[in-house]
Formats: sequence, structure tokens, C-alpha cells
Amino acid sequence: MDDSQARSIDKREPGVRARIAQGFNQAVAHNQALGLRVADVSGERVCVTLDYRDDFLGDPIAGLWHTAVGISAADSSCGLAVFLALPDMESIATLDLRMDYLRPAVADKGLQVEAECYHITRCVAFARATLHQGDRERPVSLCTAAFMRTGQSSITA
Amino acid sequence: MSGAKRNLQAALDAGDHGALVAAIPYAGFLGIAVDADTDGARIYRMPYRADLIGNSRKPALHGGTVAGLLELSMQLEVLIAETQARLPYPVDFSIDYWRSAGPKDCLCRCRLIRSGRRMAQVQAECWQDDVDRPIAFARADFLLRAFDEAAGDPGAARSID
Repeated sequence: MDDSQARSIDKREPGVRARIAQGFNQAVAHNQALGLRVADVSGERVCVTLDYRDDFLGDPIAGLWHTAVGISAADSSCGLAVFLALPDMESIATLDLRMDYLRPAVADKGLQVEAECYHITRCVAFARATLHQGDRERPVSLCTAAFMRTGQSSITA
Repeated sequence: MSGAKRNLQAALDAGDHGALVAAIPYAGFLGIAVDADTDGARIYRMPYRADLIGNSRKPALHGGTVAGLLELSMQLEVLIAETQARLPYPVDFSIDYWRSAGPKDCLCRCRLIRSGRRMAQVQAECWQDDVDRPIAFARADFLLRAFDEAAGDPGAARSID
């Protein structure tokens, strides 16, 4: 892709956003290993879902997801939100990330992640995410993360 | 007492770290192993696997897998050091990524900073080839659970610390 093509992409257009998000998700091997699915990227807030698997348990006695599954899901979702918010097709790298664990995620129910990029500077993008199991007013965990803008991406629209 | 709970307790009693990891399904999913260091400290290892990759162009491990190793290592460190009957529950977690993680094994060492009756505060560092060139640093706080409380007696839950 040359520069003129990169600049002609309108990342506000829902069809374009969906296509970019699919490409982004499929390019990440670990997202595929987890079974992460892009649910809705039509708005600024991107929605990603993860189906329950026994592999994801941390406490099999109590039937609770391991909290660290949420870190991967949150990192990927915040990264996707940032990728869609940047003007061009740029590659990014997570600089730091914080999770607050408000309540445990219960077995047999999926996990939903809603992520948004809320600020972009010349070098850095800031994102946050809410993880829940169907009711976003009762979040499982909250995430904030900063990403470095590292150059042009290999992912195409 | 359920089989899973017996497994965790038996593994702790026997000092069998392999069985301890096996009692946590997500630790098994990431392939985490516990090695003994020369000075007796524990080293946590996440062996490289192609499906841990996050960026195939570099290539680099997915940041979430490195974070997962660090959180699980800190959790296991508290579990072993404080002989908890159940996995200590994390309150919060944060990670700084210092260098990109290449397609190779990740190693981790923890430092239990403080451990009271209710909370344990831990730090962890992750490296690949060179312990002096760490790739990530994490910290977390964990809620401790008293033995009697975890044994399933709701009356034993403490309200006063």
C-alpha cells in the first residue's frame, strides 16, 4: 500500500472499520488462540467478545475466570480501539496497562470488552476498557492503557 | 471438599509446583512452569509457542501473554509463600512494557514486598535472554484468604483485621 492509499482510507466509515478490525484481529495469532471476536466497531467504542472456555478458569472450585484472561482481551481491544482511532494505518505497541478487578467473572458466561481510545498525541495514544458479562453497569474489570505509535502497519484496509 | 481443592492443597503440602500449576486451568493454557533457582527462589517460565504471538511481523509475543505470566507468577508466589488454601484474588494489576518480547521463552521472578493478614503486595520482573535486560515489570495487590474461611465455613469469614 502506498501513502496516497493509506491517507484515502476513511476510518469513520462503518464498513471500512469492520474490515480493518477483522484484518487486525486475524493478524494476531494469540487473539485467534483465545477465540476473540470483533462484535461491533461501527462507533468509537469498539466491542469485542470472548466465549467461555474451561481453559480460562482460574479458580475451578468457585467456577471463576482467571483475571489474566481479561488482560489479553483488554490489551487487544484497547489496541484495536487505538488502531481504528489513528488517522493512518500505523503500528502500535503497548507501553503500559492497568487492570482494576471489581468483581470476578463467572464460568459458563462469555466476557464482553468495550474499549475506546480517548486521547492521541504525536507519539502516544491512551485507551480504556470496561469488561463485563452482559451488564456494563456491573463491570468485571476496568482497564487503562497507553500505546506507543511505532510506524506504518502491515495491516491493510 | 472437592477434588480440585484437594489437588491444590495436596500440591502445596507436597511442594509439588507442577501439580499446583495444573490446578489452575489458565496457567496450563499458557503452559507456565515453575523452576527452582540456584538460590532457592522460584523462577516462573512461559515456554515459547507460536500461538502466543501478538505481532507476526516483528515477531513479538502478545503483551497479554507476558502480563498473564507475570500475574500468575505473583499469584503463585503468594499462594506458596503464604500457604493459602485457595488462589489469592487480585485486587489490581499493572504492567510496564520495557522491551518487545521476542519469540522465545519468558522467565519471571517475583518479590513479595509486603504480606499482612488481608493483603499481599508483589512485584515481578520478566526477561528472556538476559536477566539484566528485563522486558517487563509488573505489580499487583492480592486479597489473602484465611484457611478456615476458604475451608467453606461462612461463619469464619473475618470482619475485623
